[in-house]
Amino acid sequence: MEKFSLGSENLDLRIRIAELEKELANYRSVAIANSNTNGHATHALDEEDEEEEFTAPQDQDDKAVKLDLDEFRRYGRQMIMTEVGLDGQLQLKRSKVLLIGAGGLGCPAAAYLAGAGIGTIGIVDHDLVEPSNLHRQIMHTVEKVGHPKVKSIISSLKRINPNPKYIAHHYVLTPENSIETLGRYDLVLDCTDSPQTRYMISDACVLLGKPLVSASALRSDGQLVVLNNPPGEGPCYRCVFPKPPPPESVLSCGEGGVLGPVVGAMGVLMSTEALKVLLSRADKKKRRKPAHLSPDIRPADAKETSKKEESPEQKKFYMTIYSAFSDTPFRTIRMFGKRKTCQACSSVATITKESMENGSLDYVAFCGGKGSGKYPPLTKDEVINVEEYSKLRQNKEGGLLIDVRDDVQFGMCALENSINVPITTILTLPMIPEKDGTDGENRTPVPIPSWLPRDPSTPIYFICRLGNDSRIAVQRLKKSGLVKGNVIKDIKGGLWEWSRKVDKTFPLY
Amino acid sequence: MANTFTVLYFASAHTYTGKSEDAVPGPMTVSKLFPYLEEKYPGFRKKVLSSCALSVNLDYVDLAEDAEKEIQNGDEVGIIPPVSSG
Repeated sequence: MEKFSLGSENLDLRIRIAELEKELANYRSVAIANSNTNGHATHALDEEDEEEEFTAPQDQDDKAVKLDLDEFRRYGRQMIMTEVGLDGQLQLKRSKVLLIGAGGLGCPAAAYLAGAGIGTIGIVDHDLVEPSNLHRQIMHTVEKVGHPKVKSIISSLKRINPNPKYIAHHYVLTPENSIETLGRYDLVLDCTDSPQTRYMISDACVLLGKPLVSASALRSDGQLVVLNNPPGEGPCYRCVFPKPPPPESVLSCGEGGVLGPVVGAMGVLMSTEALKVLLSRADKKKRRKPAHLSPDIRPADAKETSKKEESPEQKKFYMTIYSAFSDTPFRTIRMFGKRKTCQACSSVATITKESMENGSLDYVAFCGGKGSGKYPPLTKDEVINVEEYSKLRQNKEGGLLIDVRDDVQFGMCALENSINVPITTILTLPMIPEKDGTDGENRTPVPIPSWLPRDPSTPIYFICRLGNDSRIAVQRLKKSGLVKGNVIKDIKGGLWEWSRKVDKTFPLY
Repeated sequence: MANTFTVLYFASAHTYTGKSEDAVPGPMTVSKLFPYLEEKYPGFRKKVLSSCALSVNLDYVDLAEDAEKEIQNGDEVGIIPPVSSG
């Protein structure tokens, strides 16, 4: 906030500034009227359907980058920091940053990077905005539902700062196109949501020598780490997590849930780390030193310490973990450098640009192939569709309906007369050994859980949110050997289908 | 607690155990920790621990290279599964 205890001399200055601002405003309105979108300061705000240019962002290379009066005013609050300065601000303007993912992490990260005055900001995303995104993906708004996320985020970013050049990459990042896409930028932010893309982006950054800011969030937990920084020295994603998580344990935000401000906090921290990486490249040598620090008037006995200061610091690597509901929410783990046996970044690395570009690296397979084989196939007799089940219910032939969602979701909404047995409980049922072994023979009989029907003529129907866990439940109950003769079926498509085809008043979430 | 060390469970480790921490009798070498936890929580190793990073007193510990490192009583061990959503 400005203070108004100014003397008359300063008052004159303020009047002069106001005049200059007026001039500038006039100048800019003329510039917009003549609008030739050369990507700098002349974007009209409502050009929603304008296609982004896909030209290589090299036009700012080698040209002397300068700041205009408007930029001095816009970036003044950060420029007066020692860590930024004019040299730092110019460095940001020269920089090209790629954000992969325009979701919960990408939205806040992009907002601050745009605000900070990064010269070129590229965004990769192939998704459309959905209503369930809006609680956390703060650059998307109600009227953008159904629109591509890249377009939506860029139109919001332009409202924050029209100066940067924004490049939309509206496609899926693949091993084949990642080298080309990432190669155009100086720094990459991984704002994606699956293990396979995280390994792929990390590998591409190692091969291209680009630093990578990587963060993630699920439920109330977050992680943040700067990888391959400086390139060739810092650890990569494979060094930190050499083994991918088993696919059945990987949950998306849609499956596991996420608290908006948790993923938001991680996104904001990503933008800070990105600025730190970029600012470390600024040419601070050009700065004038304050008189008391300038070498010629330094006392003679201070010489030794000054030498020490100039020796390069030992680079340290850290990972920050955020656990929102913990008593100590933030912890920072000190990392060691690269892993000696790393497949991507060590001296024995086997991953090459060629193997990425020709598609021979199969990241989906490396991560256990989620999506193929995660859920067991069922036979026709083990499945019933929602319409048929609705008819059975009307005829009071609905049997025992078991909802396998967790208790929180069951408490949000549930079908009448259904009982709740979470899939985690179903998975603890005993299993009959597939082959007769010594294991099974002396086993004491397991008590039958109270929720299972004793009457073999009562059919059992499983339901869940989307129809995946209910399939597992069908197979698992059959393998338990606890029910004899009962019909056991999965209600296909779960409550989502129920809401779409049977009862439109049942909440979708 | 003089004869135990603390194990902190983050993210999916927290979900699997239903706890945020455990007191484990020490001292114990790094290589013995996962078998110990597997016994306490059957299935934990395959479903969660196999892909986790491990820290001892906020230092990253490599499961292979530091297998014989001894965790002392009073230490704080972090079980850090990779979080990949965003």
